[in-house]
Amino acid sequence: MSLNYLIVVLLVGLGLYCLLTKRNLIKMIIGLSIITDGAHLLLISLGYRAEGIAPIIPQRMMEEFAVIAEIGVDPLPQALVLTSIVINVCILALAITLIILNFRHKGTLDPFELTDLKK
Amino acid sequence: MTAPAFYSPILVIVLPLIGGFALPGAGLLGDKLNIPRLREYLASAVVLATIYFVLDTSAGLGEEIMVYPLGGWEPPLGITLVIDGLGILLSIVVSIIAGVIIIYSLYFFKEEDRLSQYYTLMLFLLAGMLGVAYTGDIFNLYVFFEIMSIASYSLIAFYRTGDSVEGALKYLFIGSLGTGFILLGIVLLYAMTGTLNMADLSMRMSVLSAEGYSLTALISLGLLTVGFGMKVGMIPFHAWLPDAYQSAPIPVTTVMAGGTGVIGVGALLRVGFLVFGSELITPLLMGLGLLTMVAGALLALRQSDLIRLLAYSSISQMGYILLGLGIGTSLGVSGGLYHLMNKAVFKSLLFLAAGIIVYKTGSSDMNKLGGLAVKMPVTATLFGVGALALVGIPPLNGFVSKASIIYAGIRAGHPVLSALASFSAALSLTYILRAFISVFLGESTPLTEDIKFSREYRLLIPVCILAVFTLLLGILPGFGFEMVAEAEAVLLEPLEYIESVFPAG
Repeated sequence: MSLNYLIVVLLVGLGLYCLLTKRNLIKMIIGLSIITDGAHLLLISLGYRAEGIAPIIPQRMMEEFAVIAEIGVDPLPQALVLTSIVINVCILALAITLIILNFRHKGTLDPFELTDLKK
Repeated sequence: MTAPAFYSPILVIVLPLIGGFALPGAGLLGDKLNIPRLREYLASAVVLATIYFVLDTSAGLGEEIMVYPLGGWEPPLGITLVIDGLGILLSIVVSIIAGVIIIYSLYFFKEEDRLSQYYTLMLFLLAGMLGVAYTGDIFNLYVFFEIMSIASYSLIAFYRTGDSVEGALKYLFIGSLGTGFILLGIVLLYAMTGTLNMADLSMRMSVLSAEGYSLTALISLGLLTVGFGMKVGMIPFHAWLPDAYQSAPIPVTTVMAGGTGVIGVGALLRVGFLVFGSELITPLLMGLGLLTMVAGALLALRQSDLIRLLAYSSISQMGYILLGLGIGTSLGVSGGLYHLMNKAVFKSLLFLAAGIIVYKTGSSDMNKLGGLAVKMPVTATLFGVGALALVGIPPLNGFVSKASIIYAGIRAGHPVLSALASFSAALSLTYILRAFISVFLGESTPLTEDIKFSREYRLLIPVCILAVFTLLLGILPGFGFEMVAEAEAVLLEPLEYIESVFPAG
């Protein structure tokens, strides 16, 4: 299990490194999604339970609620990750749209050339 | 006073959402049936109805906290809306500012066929802001915050010119990094406590940190502070803000200064004070506030573009808010919250007045403007009112809140803070006076020579409304402090909030 957490740290670190050092907007977008993927992996790992079962309780087994709650995996992180993935797809789509528009105007993907407003 | 209708809180959030989805249809229908401005009517109607329900929810509550379990799921299982003092304050401020901006937009935009998109995104933005104000669930707060942010990224790029795309891209990159940090912070909180309901989180965090804060809690606090700081443009993370403000259409700039900026600070306060407690968050806020206030004012001094100058001054005013809240005494917190409300009002006033100049002349470069006081006397007067409120001249609203923050600093034994706050006020006088002189006084420039006094009075109506609020909040400070009293109580004493969500204990 601790491998998961190691990978989370690795992913977030890699994403930050990519975002801070790359001079290409598309690569920076990749860095952003790697950071959020790290957060998603952390969230999913939290809900994981070794040898767990699906957290679904049929109506006629309600008296065993406590047992199932004990061995079932935590369903909440999965719902959260789904929501968060949708949000990040929106951001990604919007980012790529803006990068394309920007490329049409200026013909560059270099973030350091985005200085027209500072003049 | 009657109790609010049970359906009011949910309508506040759902109405703008549904309205937003219905708007493109209304635009098409209006084109087909030859009813011009059908979408504008729909957008104004939706915003007006939303303001009505916000006021209905707020007016009846008094000192009560209203708990609204969504779908009937009791907390902490389901998502709960909790309408407390802070939520009421934020929702009233942003919905009224949004209403004023919608009126302004009706006349600001020349006929453009993409206006359906503008009003749709504006309504989504409003839904997101009100959702952040009302929600009692931290993940739900994150989702509403993202609805708001994504709508504002696209609104900045509304003109699709090179500049506006550049501004939007900068905000999108820094804002999305902030999103990642906020998400990580929330995940760490969930890892520690296993809950997302903020009242529940507050209880469990106080149990967990009874013997000192764990490293995880501190990392989570840091991530959340940096994340929200990036979203609202506090000083080490402010790089995007002037560019985005300058390149966006003026109504969008205004909604960012008076709407999303306010909500961003509000969300940070909600999470910081409620979940982590005031001992941990106040030193952070004080440090960030001090830096933001002084550096923002210094940077504003060297700007030559009117909108950019106002953007830096907006950063500086946010510093005052954070400083007041960071002082952490009752007076400091209510002064900070009062300034939050005032900043939204006078900053919107300044941006909208500057917008009239941009609308008439097509430029916001102060070197190219001049002598407009003769041509646009009403605009000049209203801009002057906003400028005096910004500096903090009595009897305008900025005076009351700045004076209470400065006084609270002295009372709490931080005279240095008060001195720096007064210093920043002096700086703000310098830069706003320079802006006023170079735009309104002096000789006419080639750009301003042909300006005639014409249809701008329609744009002046919303600016006048804001000027009235500026004056009212200045001459009736008792009313203003009453509005923030409940919010201050919630921030400093979260127990009442927790007991409203979990009545049994």
